[in-house]
Order: sequence, then C-alpha cells, then structure tokens
Amino acid sequence: MQSTGNKKADETYTIVIGCGRLGADLANRFSDEDGDVLVIDKSKDAFRKLSPSFGGLTVVGDAMDFSVLKEAQIERAHLIVAVTDNDNANIFVAQLARQTFQVPRVIIRLYDPERECVYHTLGIDTICPAILSANAIYKILSEKDGQPS
Amino acid sequence: MKTNILLVGGRSKAKSLAISLTHKGYHVTAINENYEDCIKLAEIESVTVINGDGTRPFVLEDANAPEIDIAIALTSKDEDNLVICELCKKKFFVKKTVALLNDPKKTDFFYSMGVDSVVCATSAISNIIEQQAFLDKMATLVPIGEGRVSIAEVPIVETSPVIGKKLWEINLPKQVVVGCILRGDTTMVPRGDSRILAGDMLVLISSNQQEVEAIKELTGR
Repeated sequence: MQSTGNKKADETYTIVIGCGRLGADLANRFSDEDGDVLVIDKSKDAFRKLSPSFGGLTVVGDAMDFSVLKEAQIERAHLIVAVTDNDNANIFVAQLARQTFQVPRVIIRLYDPERECVYHTLGIDTICPAILSANAIYKILSEKDGQPS
Repeated sequence: MKTNILLVGGRSKAKSLAISLTHKGYHVTAINENYEDCIKLAEIESVTVINGDGTRPFVLEDANAPEIDIAIALTSKDEDNLVICELCKKKFFVKKTVALLNDPKKTDFFYSMGVDSVVCATSAISNIIEQQAFLDKMATLVPIGEGRVSIAEVPIVETSPVIGKKLWEINLPKQVVVGCILRGDTTMVPRGDSRILAGDMLVLISSNQQEVEAIKELTGR
C-alpha cells in the first residue's frame, strides 16, 4: 500500500529517539512491519542493539539539536517516539516536534509521571513504566487470587 | 510584601545573582542538585536553599513555588531549563519565568513555549567579547533586545577627527543616532547643528551591529 504521494505527510515514516532496549525493540518492530524508520542516538554503540535484519536508517547525534533533526528529515515524519532515559530530553524533543515541526503524532516515555500534567494539552501521548508495571503486577495478582476459588 | 525570586541550578551565576538580589531587597530561594553548591549558596544570608532536582514538581513545591513571583532557570542543560519554566508557569502559575539558553537557535522555540524571557548566554558573551576585542576601553557598550540594538558611550578625546564639527557634518552609518551628549555636568539631546567638543561623551544608539563603524568614525581609531 502506497501513501497518496504527498511527500510532506509520509504515512509510514517514523523516527525513534533513543536506542536503548525499548527504542531498539520498537525500531526493530517498525522495520519488520516494512515501515520506514529512522533511529537517533547520541552513541554509535547503541545501534548494536538493533537486529541484523533492521532495514531502517540510523543517525548519531543529539536529537535536541536542530541540525540533527533536519538530517533525520523530521518534517517528513508521521510519528515520533522519544524514549531516551532522560525525561526532560524526551519532553523537549516532543514539544519541539509538535510546536516547531507539526509532527502529527508524538509519543514519549516519562519515568516521572508527575510532570505529565504539563504536556497532555500539547497533543503528546505519554507512557510511564512505573504505572504500566504496577498495573501489570496488580493484574497478575488478581488473576492468581481468582484461580483457586 | 517582598518579591520572591526562585533560582534553579547554576553555580557561580546562581551565587552572584543571589547576592545581588538579596542586596536589592528580594527574597531569594535557590534550588540546586549539587550538595556542595548548596552549601556555598547557604553562606549567603537570608537565602533559602533546597538540595534537589528543580525539574521535579515536588521539589518545586518544597521551594514554595506557588508563592514565587519570578523563576529563573540557570542549569547548564537547555531541556532542564525549559521544563523548569513550564512547570513553574503551568503547574504553579508563576508570573514571570526566565530561562538561560546555550543554543541560540532555540530562542524562538523557548518563547513559543511560553517562557517570558530567554537569555542566550552564548550569543550574549560572544557579542561582548567581540566588541571588547575591537574597541578596548574606547567605549562602553550595552547590548539590548538580544544584542540587536546596542547603546554605546563614546568619549571624544582631543585627537578625535570630529571635534568642532556639527553633527550633520559627520558621516555616521544610517542605523546609528547620537541620542545624547554629556558635556561636563550638563546633558543635551543634540540636533543636527549641535557641535561636538573635546571632552564630550556621546551616547550612541545603533542597530545591526553598526556601532563599531560609528565609533571608528567618531574616535578616528
């Protein structure tokens, strides 16, 4: 399936910022689904986590730097996922993407959910590992409790 | 009631600001992540010091953020300064936020995110160094409007080529005006036919970095 040919609104082009375990895993999945994906990380070594079959692009640099975002063709992106280990960096990139480059969808990871209140108005989706983990553990517990009876 | 000012991060900058602001009668609260820096800040009388990460809402709460009038973010990381200002503004409704910025290209972005005042250290300092290197004690320059406009104090010494000339006879760049002439104890706002004398102090207002050329024209150097 091809998009409508509008270069500006590339339907599949995704940028993943931060190539840690989560970033690399997401990038691999996008690539496996034949998506157009680019990963940015400050450290070249981080890209080792990408699978050998990874078919996307990589850029070494600080995603808060305009020149790095330009190199990554941010204006073409349909989705940005910012999952570096620094909450404030993720917030910064997300706002830059929404405000300056009008990227349609932005998802970020925040370790500290307290900061979230500031960002939901900007159309930025946030996920918080602590809350997700707590929910998952709670779910396991409630399933176990439910079984014997 | 005293104006409450919050300083977040920054080492020597935070300390000298805190000293200067307390002297002027403001109440200063400082947040710093580094324990040693906190101890240094605590040496200043009547400054409240909090050891913690100022990008975290509960630390700002400890600093009594809802009562703060002006919040100044001085950390070395641009992203931290933005988050500090946004939390102060959106969560605690601080009236005025000021952010220090390293990368001059992000100035517009900071303003668009609601930061009231953005100070770009890199461009401000490089401007000053450039001016000092060229002028060396011949004039005092005050950059305003992010350095786009500057006000300069230019002393007219006896060797100056413009002595005895009327203002309109001097070939000043278009973007420069002489706003004031200080002569002894008197000050005058000059007109085109005002004559320049040795010992005058001229106050120049210039835009687009034309001051260097103007000062050369006036002092002959």
